[in-house]
Amino acid sequence: MTRRLALWLGVAVVALSALVYASVDEGAPRTDADRAYAIAKTIGCPVCNGQSVAESNASAARNIRVSIAKWIDEGRSEDFIRAELRSLFGDDVDYTPSGDGVTSLVWILPVVFGAGALAGLVIVFRRWKSEALLDASDADRALVEAAREARDDG
Amino acid sequence: MSSAAVGAVIIALGAAASLTGIGVIVLGLLGRRPGWWRETRGLVWAMLAMSTLAIVWMERALITRDFTIRFVADHGSSQTSSIFNVATLWSALEGSILLWAFVLTGYVAAVVVKFRDKRDDPMMQWVMLTLFVVCAFFFLLMVGPSNPFQSFDPPVGYDGPGPNPLLQSHILMAFHPPILYLGYVGFTVPFAFAIGALVTGRVGEGWLLATRRWTVIAWGFLTLGIVLGAWWSYETLGWGGYWAWDPVENASFLPWLTGTAFIHSVMVQERRGMLRVWNLSLVVATFALTILGTFITRAGVLESVHAFSESSIGPALLGFFTLIVVVSLGLIAWRGDQLRSPGRIDSPISREGAFLANNVLFAAFAFVVLLGPIFPLIVEALNDDRISVGNPYFERMTMPIGFTLLFLMAVAPVLPWRKASPGVLAERLIWPAWMGAGAMVLSVLVGARGWAPTLAFGLGGFAGGAALRQVVLATRRQGWRGLVGRTNGGMIVHVGVVMIAVAFAASNAYVRQDTFLLAPGQTASFAGHELTFEGTDFRQYPNRSERRVAIDIDGEQVYEPGIALYPFAGQRIGIPSVRSTLFDDVALSVDSFPVDDDGNETGQVVLRVTVQPLIVWLWIGGLVMALGTLLAVVPGRRRNPTAPVSAPLPGAEPPATAEPVKELV
Amino acid sequence: MTEPPAAPPRRTAVWIVLPLAVVMAGFIVLLATRDSGDTGFESFDLEGKVAPAIVGTTLDGAAFDLDDHRGSFVVVNFFQTTCIPCRQEHPELVAFQEAYGPSGFATVVSVAFDDQPNNIREFFEQFGGEWPVLATDTGPLAVAYGVPLVPESILIAPTGEVITKLEGGVRMADLEAVIGSWQEANA
Repeated sequence: MTRRLALWLGVAVVALSALVYASVDEGAPRTDADRAYAIAKTIGCPVCNGQSVAESNASAARNIRVSIAKWIDEGRSEDFIRAELRSLFGDDVDYTPSGDGVTSLVWILPVVFGAGALAGLVIVFRRWKSEALLDASDADRALVEAAREARDDG
Repeated sequence: MSSAAVGAVIIALGAAASLTGIGVIVLGLLGRRPGWWRETRGLVWAMLAMSTLAIVWMERALITRDFTIRFVADHGSSQTSSIFNVATLWSALEGSILLWAFVLTGYVAAVVVKFRDKRDDPMMQWVMLTLFVVCAFFFLLMVGPSNPFQSFDPPVGYDGPGPNPLLQSHILMAFHPPILYLGYVGFTVPFAFAIGALVTGRVGEGWLLATRRWTVIAWGFLTLGIVLGAWWSYETLGWGGYWAWDPVENASFLPWLTGTAFIHSVMVQERRGMLRVWNLSLVVATFALTILGTFITRAGVLESVHAFSESSIGPALLGFFTLIVVVSLGLIAWRGDQLRSPGRIDSPISREGAFLANNVLFAAFAFVVLLGPIFPLIVEALNDDRISVGNPYFERMTMPIGFTLLFLMAVAPVLPWRKASPGVLAERLIWPAWMGAGAMVLSVLVGARGWAPTLAFGLGGFAGGAALRQVVLATRRQGWRGLVGRTNGGMIVHVGVVMIAVAFAASNAYVRQDTFLLAPGQTASFAGHELTFEGTDFRQYPNRSERRVAIDIDGEQVYEPGIALYPFAGQRIGIPSVRSTLFDDVALSVDSFPVDDDGNETGQVVLRVTVQPLIVWLWIGGLVMALGTLLAVVPGRRRNPTAPVSAPLPGAEPPATAEPVKELV
Repeated sequence: MTEPPAAPPRRTAVWIVLPLAVVMAGFIVLLATRDSGDTGFESFDLEGKVAPAIVGTTLDGAAFDLDDHRGSFVVVNFFQTTCIPCRQEHPELVAFQEAYGPSGFATVVSVAFDDQPNNIREFFEQFGGEWPVLATDTGPLAVAYGVPLVPESILIAPTGEVITKLEGGVRMADLEAVIGSWQEANA
């Protein structure tokens, strides 16, 4: 018993220290190219159906890639770049839906759905645990009878 | 008679067979002659024969370049190589519907063969009726809006453009669509049985056992099809991406999610006799989502790179989807309460509890994947704003779901039915937990940082450890039989899922991309790799010309990305080249060949380099999942299927689950 | 209502199906009424604002700065040599420049959109046109003016503010009309 406890404590300590170390230590610094690529992946190309500017080779996508790199070179923040591109090409170039107005629903609805499903699960569990077992109805009995006959025939 | 007319006649005969089938069964139902449906077997063979003939006729036309058929004139070409010539069939709308119909009639014929003994089962006539209706829909599509055999009057010396160059640049394109269709279409069979069960009220376990294996097979094909699609886009598009949360990708993912939920929750019904209505709903939803997915792909409602150009079959598909939804919801509302089962669950910490949690998570997953693509439509309808919902949204929303699913994958396989004690869990999970911790330590040691990927690796190790533990125990107990059967095969599928989850987390978190301007002889260093530009090469093919550059990676081997020019279509297509190792992938693609002010090439190249870790494990994981599915459908040691599956009711007859299911399996 | 209390009839399924049916109905109507996913980028936020800077070297090697053209109307024309509408609109621009360029009333500036200098030279040799052409490193310019596709022309007032953007090929008459109404409004 104590051995098992020690094993579990050990696993918890090892996992937590690895997790903490991985979140605290920053590792290799991100280059400007990394930052530009990370943004480009989340900006839609204005003229190519559903491809990001990182993926597309359309002229507009190339232009935007160059601009993003230039802005980053000038020390602009990611928020600035997004806002700028949204105002120039429309809100729909930004793949990240905003959190305000009607648009915020896209973030809220899944949470509501998840919470509702969880609540439903809890209710169902309660009912299942407390529910008196149902009696079989006549229809059920008939069904069973028919099934048995069919089985015996087969 | 022209070839187009011959094709049209074949399609019309197929449509006639399917409509006759509907007629005979409906008359049989009205006249209360349950035996009539059996007479439709010949019609099923007729449908199969016609769809086969149509495929053969179309392939003949493609191979012989018979441009009097418009489809061939539009999509075929004398320049296309033979393998892609065959694959041209599914590179465009009409051909893909034809392939769909072919696969569908094949499945229907298999049903007829498999269930030939169920002569007098009243459920079978409803099953067949449903199948005939679905077949009729697709045949009528081909008679009307998606006619593959329209005639064309080619001018002298006419040659077609060939399929979209992107679609003929990689061999995977020859396999991805048919396999995906085998998955999509396969869900028609369980759907038909679900409708039959709902109509007749026979929702004992019989229909489930009858269709479980069909569902698993369809699911396996769908899995493989999706993975092959991701692989194809990774190999051909050249930006290192394989999954973009594009509407069409999401459309194929949705039935996968509901199908996966079903495969798990069906086990609760088998063991405990519960969740009947829920399982029926999942089967129905899966099929409805395949039709919805086809609508999204084909009707051009949502923006997507995959979408075929707008076509006229949108309204028909949407109408069919509506019909499915109305009929299914109506049946569930009518029968739902009657079919409720008297089971009970003792504890949430039990196998059945884990399956329920799994279902909630998959439902939430599907909700996110469905809401994302359609949300812009809702917003536009509400206030005319245009917004996008793209990968950052899906990644952020699905990450917690993915983590929880991985955790469940670790815990659920070792949970006993009914009720688990903490002691049992602690004992069974300790080695998987150490595998998880070990995975985290290993990832930190090789330089991985960030809490999210590290947690993903840890949970992946945990889940993988639990699955392996089950496999090891089973093989120790049963020898090679410990690898086959549903439970054991399922554990192998889990191992594949873990591989994909870990690879997905790693490649997303640590992908790096940059472009380099290189002159011959120059070397670029990127993400620990040395890339030397050795020179350019020009190649001429019948249908295209290629400029390739030779890039030596790490002094080991030369890779040759380039750009292909298809003069006929006027398209420039990148030819990426990827070096894969078990540890990481280096994907090369040529951005451009710079020219100086006077238009002379400078001999340099602008090279795009993407380095991602663990990519190969996505494909290995996909193959492992397919292998696991295969093992799962091999019959293991068979449990007596008529054994009671739920606790006997006090003072009642044996449960209604004792149906004659043996013959069905 | 008269069933024995021990087994009240359950109506759960109906109550779950009904709202679901409403949601599905809305969903289907939504899909049916959205005709297509066309990409319309109609937003243009620059109107009335100071035109983004255009500084660079022209194809002839001369220095160009948009600020030097304060006092004239400027038509900033984004184009690509391979684009058909760009070729079609070109004579209109030539006529416009011939009419208003010499007096200094207005001028055209062409900005190449992802193109190569030699192609542009050929283009101007073939179709004519005597005005500054910016050919290299023009990507950020197109982004600064919110140009996703060519041809597009942005009309800039003598005050240096953006009047409007004309998408697709322009006609001389359109340019004149826009200039006229701006002059009226700012008289």
